[in-house]
Amino acid sequence: MSALAPMAVELWLAVVLAAVLIYDVISPVRERSRAGWMALVGLLPVVPLCLRHFATSTTAAGGMYLLDPLARTFKIFFALAAALVILMTHEFERHVERGVGELYLLILTATFGMMTLASAGDFLLLFIALEIITLSFYVMTAYLRRDAKSIEAGMKYLILGAISTGLFLYGVSWLYGYTGSTNFAVIHAAIARQPGLSSGLLLGFLLILAAIGFKVAAVPFHAWAPDVYEGAPTPVTAFLSVGSKAAGFVVLLRVVMGVFLPAHAIWTTLVAVLAGITILYGNLVAIPQTNIKRFLAYSSIGHAGYLLIGIAAATGLGASAVTYYLMGYLFTNLAAFLVVVTVFNATGSDEMTAYAGLAQRAPVLAGTMFVALLSLAGVPPLAGFVGKFLLLMAAVHQGLLWLAAIGAAAVVISLYYYLLLVKRMFVDPPAQATPIRVSGPVRLALYGCTAGILLLGLYQEPFLNLAITAVRGLFN
Amino acid sequence: MITALLILAPLAGAIAILCTPATQPQWVRRIAVTATTTTLAAALSLIVHYDRVLGGYQAALQIPWISSLGVSFHVGVDGISVVLVLLHAICAFAGTLVSYAIKERVKEYYLFYLLLIAGVFGVFISLDLFFFYFFYEMAVIPMFPLIGIWGSKEIKDYATMKLTLYLTAGAVLALLGLLSLYFVTDLHTFDLVTIERALAQRPLPLATQQWLFPFLLIGFGVIAPLWPFHSWSPIGHAAAPSAVSMLHAGVLMKLGSYAIIRLGLGLLPQGAYVWLPLVSVLCMMNILYGGFVALAQRDAKFLVGYSSSSHMGYVLLGIASLTPVGLNGAVLLMFAHGVMTALAFALIGHVYDQTHTRILSEWGGLAKQLPFVGTCFVIAAMASAGLPGFANFVAELLVIVGAWEPYRWQAILAVLGIVITAFYMLRAVRTAWFGPLNPRWTALRDATTVFQRLPYVFLILVLLAVGCWPSPLIATINVSSQALINRLNATQAYAHRAAPGAESSAGTALWPAPSAHGWREASLR
Repeated sequence: MSALAPMAVELWLAVVLAAVLIYDVISPVRERSRAGWMALVGLLPVVPLCLRHFATSTTAAGGMYLLDPLARTFKIFFALAAALVILMTHEFERHVERGVGELYLLILTATFGMMTLASAGDFLLLFIALEIITLSFYVMTAYLRRDAKSIEAGMKYLILGAISTGLFLYGVSWLYGYTGSTNFAVIHAAIARQPGLSSGLLLGFLLILAAIGFKVAAVPFHAWAPDVYEGAPTPVTAFLSVGSKAAGFVVLLRVVMGVFLPAHAIWTTLVAVLAGITILYGNLVAIPQTNIKRFLAYSSIGHAGYLLIGIAAATGLGASAVTYYLMGYLFTNLAAFLVVVTVFNATGSDEMTAYAGLAQRAPVLAGTMFVALLSLAGVPPLAGFVGKFLLLMAAVHQGLLWLAAIGAAAVVISLYYYLLLVKRMFVDPPAQATPIRVSGPVRLALYGCTAGILLLGLYQEPFLNLAITAVRGLFN
Repeated sequence: MITALLILAPLAGAIAILCTPATQPQWVRRIAVTATTTTLAAALSLIVHYDRVLGGYQAALQIPWISSLGVSFHVGVDGISVVLVLLHAICAFAGTLVSYAIKERVKEYYLFYLLLIAGVFGVFISLDLFFFYFFYEMAVIPMFPLIGIWGSKEIKDYATMKLTLYLTAGAVLALLGLLSLYFVTDLHTFDLVTIERALAQRPLPLATQQWLFPFLLIGFGVIAPLWPFHSWSPIGHAAAPSAVSMLHAGVLMKLGSYAIIRLGLGLLPQGAYVWLPLVSVLCMMNILYGGFVALAQRDAKFLVGYSSSSHMGYVLLGIASLTPVGLNGAVLLMFAHGVMTALAFALIGHVYDQTHTRILSEWGGLAKQLPFVGTCFVIAAMASAGLPGFANFVAELLVIVGAWEPYRWQAILAVLGIVITAFYMLRAVRTAWFGPLNPRWTALRDATTVFQRLPYVFLILVLLAVGCWPSPLIATINVSSQALINRLNATQAYAHRAAPGAESSAGTALWPAPSAHGWREASLR
C-alpha cells in the first residue's frame, strides 16, 4: 500500500470518477446535473493532499511517477481549473441536450489525465496521460451534437490531435533508440554526457517539440485552435485554453527544460523564434475578430507565445516566470470565460456586439471582464503584469533583447484590441437595457477570480516563492 | 508613513466608492473630496517638514516586497519630487471640486479618477524601479475609460486609444531599459537609492550608458511629451473632461520629465551628456513648432493643449542644460505650468459645459456675461504668457538663464517662444472674452457660489504666491538638483580620467546561468 501512497491524488480521483459514473448510471435523468456538484466536491481534497510535505520529492513505480513540488503545484492548478470549469458547465447545462452527467465525467477524466501528466517521469506515462486528456477532449469538443460547428470542432481536434500523437510517439521512439530508455532521468543523464545532441536525439527532440506545440497552440502548430475554440461548448473551450495549455507547458518544463536542459544551446534560439512568431501572430490576428471565442482563441495563442519566452530563456527565472504566468492566467482566463458563458445565456450570442453596454446591464460582469482583459494585456496591479514582467526579465537576462522587444510591442498591440472590447462594454450604448441576472455561484466565482488576479498582482512574494520551489527540481 | 498615505488615501477612497451604491452620488463625491483633501494635507506636511539642510530622500518608508528579485516597497521624497507631489495634490484637489460638473455615472467616474490620482502619486514617491514602473502604467490606464466615457463626443474614441497606446508604447520601451539596467548593474536590486549609491561609486561603462539612455529618454519622453512623440497629447487634452484634462496636462505630462531627471540623469549621467544636446534641439521643435501650431488653433482646448506641449519644451530645455539653475527652472516650471494649465482647463470646462462649443470665435464677449470666470481666464493667460508676478515667469527665466551658457542659440529661440505664447494667448483672450457679446450666450451663468469659485481662486492664489515669493520652493528644489548636478559632474570627471567601469564584474548571478545547471542557494537571499 505504501508503494502507492505518492499517488494518493490520482487514486482519490479514480474513486470520485467511479462514484460519478455510478451515480450517472443509476440516477434519474433529471437529477444527473448533480453529478457536477459531486465532481466539484470530489476535487476539493486535492488541495490539502498536495500541500502536505509540499517541498519534498518522492518517486514511485520505479521512477515512472514523480511527486515533486512541480507536480504538486500543477495538481493544485488543475484542480482549481477543473472546479471553475465544472461551475461554468453548470451554468452552460441548459444548452446540452443529452448526457450532462457524462460531460462532468469527461471533465474529471481529463483532469485525471492532467494530474498524472504533472507527475510523469517517463515518456510512457507521459504518453498515457496525454492520451487520457486528448481522448476526453475529443468527445467534449463535439458535445453539442446538433451544432455543426461543434461537430466540426471535434473533427478538427481529432485529426490534428492524432497527428500530434503520432509525432510524439515517433519522437519518443528515436529517443529510446538512441538512449535505450524512456525514463526522463536516464535520458537526461545521456544528454548531459553528450550535450551536442546526436542527429537521432535531435530529431526526437524536434518531433516532441512539434507535438507539444500542437497542444499549446504555438505557431506554426496553431491552425486548429480558432475553429475548435469557437465550435466547442464554452466551458470546454475554457478548459482547453487553460487546462490543456498548462498541461502542454508542464511537459515543456519537464521535457524541454528538464530533460534537454544540457543541450539548451541547441534549442534556445529555435524556441525563442517560435515564441516571437507566436506572440506576433496571435496578437495581430486577434485584432479583426468579431466572435468573442475566436478572439480569446487568438489571444490565447499570443499568451502561449509569451509563455514560450520563459522556456526559451532556459533559466530558473524563466521557468518560475512560466509557472507564475500560468497561475495568473488560470484566474484571468477563467474569469473571462465565465463572463462569456453568462452573457451567452442572457443574449444567446457569442458575437462581440452582444457586449455593448454591458457595464449598464451587469456591472459585475463588465467589471470582472475589465479586470480580466487588463490582466491579459499585462497592466498593473494585476496578475498578468507580474507574469509578463518576469518573462520579459528572463528574456533580458539571457540577452534575448529582441524577443523582449517583441513581447513588449505585443503588450501595446494586445492593449489595443482588449481596450476595444472595454470600450464596447463601458462606452457603447446597450442594445437592450434589460439587466442580466448573474447567479449566486457564478458571482462568487467571479469575485474569487478577481481576488486571485489582484492578489497575484499585488502580493507576489509567496506565489513567486512557490513558483521558484516548483521549478527548482528541474535544475538539479 | 505620510508618504504612503498619498497612495493609500486615494486607494481607500476608491474602495469606499466601490462599496457605495451608485444611487448615492453625493456620498461618492464626499468620499472623493475627503481623499484628495487628505492627500493635499499630507503633501503640505511633507513639503513643510522637508529638511533642506539634510537634503536627500526623506520621509522614507521601506517594506521588503519580493525578496528574491530585490524589490521593496520603498517610498520617499527629495526636493524635486516633494514639489511635484504638492503640484499633484493641488491639481487633484481642484480637479475633484471641478468634477462636480459630472452628472452621469458619477460612481464609476470618481473610481477611475481616484485610481489615476493614486497612480501618479505612486510614481512621484517610488524609490524602487519596479514600483516606479508599476505605478506609471497604473496611472496611464484609467485615462482610457475617463476620456472614453466622459470625453467630448466627436474625438474621444480616437483620442483615448491614441493616448493609451502611445503612453503604453513609451512605458514598455522604458521597461526594457529598466530591466537591462537591472542586469547590467548586477546589484540584484530594483532599489533606486541603492543603485544610485552604487553607481556614484562605480558608474556604468560609457558604452552601456550610451545605449541604455535612449530607452529611458524616448520611453519617458513620449509622455513628456518630447517632439516628435507629442501628437497624442493635444488631442488627448481636448477630448478629456475638464478635471481629467487638468490632471493630464497639469501633472501626467510631468511624469515624463520627472522620470528623465530621476532615472536618466540620476542613473545614467554619461548617457545624459551624450544624448541631451539632441534633446535641446528637439525641444526647440516643441517650443517653436508647438507655439506655431497653437497659433493656428480655433478650439480653446486644442490651443491650451499645444501650448502645453510648447511649454514642456522649456522644461526639457532646462533639463538638457544640465546646470543647477536650469534644472531648478525646469522643476519650477513643471509646478507653475501644472497649476496654470489646470486653471485654464477648469475655466474652459466651465464655459464648455454651458455653451457646448469650444471654438474661440463662437464665444465672443463672454467677459460681460461671466465676469468672474473671464477675469480668472485673463489671469491664466497672463501667467501662461510669462508675465512677471506669476510663477511661470520666474521658472522660464531660470530655464533660459540656465540654458544660456551651454545652448546659446536655443536660449535665444526660447525667448522667441515666449513672444509667440503671448501672441496667441492675448489673441484668444480678445476673441473669446472681449468685443461684442454673442447673443447666443446671454443665458450663461457665472461661477457665483463660494464652492464654485473655490478651485479657481485656490489655483490663482498658488500661482501668485509662488510667483511673488518663489524662494522657498526654489530652495527646496535646489537642494536636490544641486546634488544631482554635482554627482553628474563628479562622474564626468571620473569618466575623463579613464574608463574604469569597463572591467566586467564577476558577481554571483541571482539566477543561474543555464550552463551552471543549478541554483546557488546563497544567491537566492
